[in-house]
Amino acid sequence: MAHQAHSYHMVDPSPWPIFGAAAALLTTSGLIMWFHYNTSTLLMAGLLSMLLVMLQWWRDVIRESTFQGHHTPTVQKGLRYGMILFITSEVFFFLGFFWAFFHSSLAPTPELGGQWPPTGINPLNPLDVPLLNTAILLASGVTVTWAHHSITEGNRKQAIHALTLTIALGLYFTALQAMEYHETSFSIADSIYGSTFFVATGFHGLHVIIGSSFLTVCLLRLIKFHFTSNHHFGFEAAAWYWHFVDIVWLFLYMSMYWWGS
Amino acid sequence: HRAAALRAGPGPRLWKTLSFVVALPAVGVCMLNCYLKAQHKHERPEFIRYAHLRIRTKPFPWGDGNKTLFHNPHTNALPTGYEDEN
Repeated sequence: MAHQAHSYHMVDPSPWPIFGAAAALLTTSGLIMWFHYNTSTLLMAGLLSMLLVMLQWWRDVIRESTFQGHHTPTVQKGLRYGMILFITSEVFFFLGFFWAFFHSSLAPTPELGGQWPPTGINPLNPLDVPLLNTAILLASGVTVTWAHHSITEGNRKQAIHALTLTIALGLYFTALQAMEYHETSFSIADSIYGSTFFVATGFHGLHVIIGSSFLTVCLLRLIKFHFTSNHHFGFEAAAWYWHFVDIVWLFLYMSMYWWGS
Repeated sequence: HRAAALRAGPGPRLWKTLSFVVALPAVGVCMLNCYLKAQHKHERPEFIRYAHLRIRTKPFPWGDGNKTLFHNPHTNALPTGYEDEN
């Protein structure tokens, strides 16, 4: 058996990175084919391969960590840095859409009627479903913290309950947003108001779905005894991501739903 | 790290309490508020053909290319007006 004189993880050769790049190429060119040539085959191939790469790559990470023990504290530290940097990059991603929103809303052009919301736009009442959605995400932040403390204290039953509740709240949010999207009197094609609103909230909704999926994987792993009371970084990463999603919503709510109405 | 568990004794209890006494009831109150607000709504604004609304620079890549992804025939007018009116 080979031994290493360091605490890092020298990963075995893997096909997933290059397959992931190929999936990205298929997806982007697939989008072009769909937008401009009205055919979605390439896009479907791209999305499918993207999904398969993600499932298999992350399955391998779980194998390397939980089952093969490669995630030493040093490796975990690197993963923490990685997740923090990733979430930071996502913050900048959303910053761009907030910039676009404020650019257009702080100085509404004559074409919009010189006002914000533009003439003819009936914005959503921020005290209606948007407020409920705010309460839901804040509550899910509390329940995910309950789950974390339960894991740290080795309380399996409570951890499962708390994490399940968190995921349920996330799904409830998604369902309500989908309903709101269907019920609004304005669409994405309704001036820059619609563009900024639906692109920003749309990407946020996508991140809620991603976060809920991440948490669901954690729930499955929790049930299958993957986590210990002091080594459960996958869960921590999911919880960080979930808090980030919550905070983005708070900014969306305050700026677009509330101030922007 | 056993020490961490011993130190953070009330941890899960506190957050469980916050969940069921504060967070979830707040969600419940908001749900009630939405339900009450939904009891009286209905009327939709009249259709005015503004140039900055219902923009169609190029067709959408689905359906007939004229409806947004979450199109609602009752609340969303097409560039030519509400579908159920003309």
